[in-house]
Amino acid sequence: MWKSVRSGAAVLCAALLASACGGGEQSGTGARPQEKVQLSYGVWDATQQAVMQELAAEFTRTHPNIAVDVQLTPWADYWTKLKAAVSGGAAPDVFWMNGPNFQLYASNGVIRPIEEQVDTSVYPKALVDLYTFDGKLYGLPKDMDTVGVWYNKTLFDAAKVKYPADDWTWADFKQAAARLTDAGKGVHAVGAQLTSFQEYQYNTIYQAGGYVISPDGRKSGYDDPRTIEGLKFWTDLIAAKQSPDLKTMTDTAPIQLFEAGKLAMYWGGSWDVAEFTKNDYTKDKVDVAPLPKGEKQATIIHGVANVMSAKTEHPAQAWEFVKFLGSKQAADILGKKGPIPAYNGTQADWVAAHPELRLQTFLDSVAYAVPYPVSKNTAAWQEAELTHLTKAWTGEVPVDKAAAGLAAAMNDLLAKE
Amino acid sequence: MTTTAERRPALAGRTAKRRRPRTEALWGYAFIAPTGLGLTIFYLWPVLQTAYFSFTEWGAFGGHTWTGLDNYARLLGDPEVGQAMLNTLMYTVLGLAGIPLAIVFAALLNRPGLRGVSVYRTAFFLPVVTMPVAVAMLWRWLYNGDYGLVNQMLATVGVDGPNWIADPATAMYALVVVGIWSSVGYNLIIFLAGMQAIPKELYEAAAMDGAGRVRQFFRITLPMLSPTAFFISIVSVIGSLQLFDLVFVMTGSGQSARANPAYSRLQTVVQLFYERAFVTDDRGYAAAIVIALLVLIAALTIAQFRLQRRWVHYV
Amino acid sequence: MSERRPIGVHAVLVASSLAMVAPFAWQVITSLKTLSGATAVPPSPLPEWRWDNYAKVFELLPFGDQFLNTVLMAAGRVAGQVLFCSMAAYAFARLRFPGKNVLFGVFLSVLMVPPQLFVIPQYQIMSSLGWLNSLQAIIVPGLFSAFGVFLLRQFFLGLPREIEEAARLDGAGPVRVYWSIMLPLARPGLVALSVLVLLWAWNDLFWPLVVNTDPDKMTLSAGLAALQGQYQTDYPVLMAGSLIASLPVIAVFVFLQRQFIQGIAHTGSKG
Repeated sequence: MWKSVRSGAAVLCAALLASACGGGEQSGTGARPQEKVQLSYGVWDATQQAVMQELAAEFTRTHPNIAVDVQLTPWADYWTKLKAAVSGGAAPDVFWMNGPNFQLYASNGVIRPIEEQVDTSVYPKALVDLYTFDGKLYGLPKDMDTVGVWYNKTLFDAAKVKYPADDWTWADFKQAAARLTDAGKGVHAVGAQLTSFQEYQYNTIYQAGGYVISPDGRKSGYDDPRTIEGLKFWTDLIAAKQSPDLKTMTDTAPIQLFEAGKLAMYWGGSWDVAEFTKNDYTKDKVDVAPLPKGEKQATIIHGVANVMSAKTEHPAQAWEFVKFLGSKQAADILGKKGPIPAYNGTQADWVAAHPELRLQTFLDSVAYAVPYPVSKNTAAWQEAELTHLTKAWTGEVPVDKAAAGLAAAMNDLLAKE
Repeated sequence: MTTTAERRPALAGRTAKRRRPRTEALWGYAFIAPTGLGLTIFYLWPVLQTAYFSFTEWGAFGGHTWTGLDNYARLLGDPEVGQAMLNTLMYTVLGLAGIPLAIVFAALLNRPGLRGVSVYRTAFFLPVVTMPVAVAMLWRWLYNGDYGLVNQMLATVGVDGPNWIADPATAMYALVVVGIWSSVGYNLIIFLAGMQAIPKELYEAAAMDGAGRVRQFFRITLPMLSPTAFFISIVSVIGSLQLFDLVFVMTGSGQSARANPAYSRLQTVVQLFYERAFVTDDRGYAAAIVIALLVLIAALTIAQFRLQRRWVHYV
Repeated sequence: MSERRPIGVHAVLVASSLAMVAPFAWQVITSLKTLSGATAVPPSPLPEWRWDNYAKVFELLPFGDQFLNTVLMAAGRVAGQVLFCSMAAYAFARLRFPGKNVLFGVFLSVLMVPPQLFVIPQYQIMSSLGWLNSLQAIIVPGLFSAFGVFLLRQFFLGLPREIEEAARLDGAGPVRVYWSIMLPLARPGLVALSVLVLLWAWNDLFWPLVVNTDPDKMTLSAGLAALQGQYQTDYPVLMAGSLIASLPVIAVFVFLQRQFIQGIAHTGSKG
């Protein structure tokens, strides 16, 4: 159908099209290595734009014939724009990919598998697995993040509660939570956030011994009693008024409450370092501890990868760039300015940037980290998670009933994939 | 006064001698050609495509298989669609309150010789240039259940206010207020312009008959403004039925908006369309949703055109 | 004309003006806060006088380029719509031709379509024209508007016919009538349409962001949106940028409001 639009439009604007086609032909023969090539590189985080440009410049220094144009699209519009770009045949040559979206792009053949044999042992295995589909690797991990418990030392001191130990358990956490809650001052122990499963529910689900999705990606884990235990962890906190209720957290996000001294603990990703070290209130009051241990010890690991468009006109150069971005050299640059680099052994700079915080916690937890659960259409069941669990969080529906409804809905969605 | 638009041109044509109707028709087509062509390429064609895709299962990145009426059958049985339609209609009906409000303000701001009137007008214009993020921040603070200004004021009279935008009972009304607030500026611009087209002599004559401002408003301004009001009412109803940004801005973007306990009462049809088209990649179904909405909008617009004879006065 | 002093009118206008200005004032105050201050709970209504937020805007954005793009985009869309829409509106309001009502209905139907539907198809059109990342990509689809046609048609329908009829009797053709009589008479409507198109162009964020990728091919609102990080956004800087960007539009409005109010389009036309 689109063919006819194209030809119709071509007739209308023949002159312009002719000039555009002229340009296209020149770049179409881009196989020869000595020819100058321009790659586009799509990214979504404004706070990393500068370091991405630095990496691009560094790459061009060693590859003088390949220039890289960093294209920033804000997170809120990144995926919509990328979908339009892929449909219009104009996706960037290389772009950032995340876990929830990866299989959708890989299964539709719009990103290019890596053909060269690469040594993947330099990255956390969970991340390599995350970006492998049908036995093929599609992207090299760029960065990684894990989850920890950020805590307000001032509030711990005031309640005379010991700071969390590295080997603390659910029981320790619950005990601390009870003592840290001070209704009179409007202080809650923690916010049982519903909008970030990566930092909240997924962690406790795996800690309880449950699972979100079966390893073959066909079955929901939400009807597993241990998974439900992991959800109850949070709804119990709300019921005990140790967490604000969902309406309060809808009005004021838990991170804002934490930064106002109204929450003693905040389960948050390693990326929150930037926020908490800049915020006037938290910068000299917080530290971070590992997540408490349930049945098991677990934290969710996720990371962004660099992938290549299947339609890139310069596959060889794009791969050179992806390989560079996945190298130790690039990771060293990234670690000084950005998130935790994924390349093993390059994270020291990231940890050293804030000696006042126990940032090593996030790296140590990689040993027991669980990959972010995904499937081909992750977004579909992530929506179902919210739709069904909101009712459990408000207390309208018991957790096990809400989870059973969710499991049924998710299984339906997975069957359609 | 009650002559319709349709009859007048014919009359006018007859009096202005029997002019070559064919030339006039050709000119008519020539005058609408540029816009007609542009709208066809950039707007109508995509709609036709979408209509076609509503009968298919449409892949995230293109490619489709014909599924006949499946998407429409699913639509009829989808409670989420029903609720979103209901919400959207509620927004539309409640949002109509913004029109009389804008007329009254336009009349006040159009008073000749009122001191400081240009300052007032600029004040009413500011909402349309205020950054949506700032608008949302302020309103969310006003509506905050714990420390919001509204509840602080209610507390002084001993009322314990709700979490306005997280409570299913109040959320929609809270959003409608914001919606009306943000549309008044646009509507004012159009109404003020419409008031300029009212001949001053009518007011002078009425003043000589001893009609005060209020009577002038009802006897001259309102009827003479009715073509403009008709335009605003068509456009507002369409705009409300397409509501998207307001809910998006006020409840947080993306899927996390669903964690709002009031979300099912807030979700609009276009939001649902957006989620199906761009988030969960159910694009054939999304196409069916948007086509269904189009049918509803068209029906309500045609109904309004039918009803205009009862209240719209063309000169 | 001058009756009692309109104290009641002033009271109503002052109160409602405050409600209208509040979020704008909030934006000004927030633009002068630190990031911590801007996200504090509960928020403070006092600024912290961080003027450097304004300096940062110019560091972070290619402001000059983006301003120029915004002006060109807005000017192009305004000029295009005022011309094309008024032509079509005149035809629908005054000329007789077969299929007029049906065609008008087709035009109106465009207004009924939620704009989100057009994203991918229009992107594909731009892509096949080779227009991605260009100024024409952000101008051309905005030259045509069902809204503008409808708005101006209503204006033309509201205009008295006498002058027009006199001109026709003098032998003026449709083009002369449109250009020398109808357009001047409809000036308040044209000004209103211009202001609205300008506003929408100025605030249009999504389309420029989707169809263009180079920062120096973006418009201001799209450039500002790109300042939002995934986890962190410097709201004060964002609001400072938005404030600077909105000043020209406010200036245009203040200047043009005389046109709505005193543009005595056709006094005496009835006389």
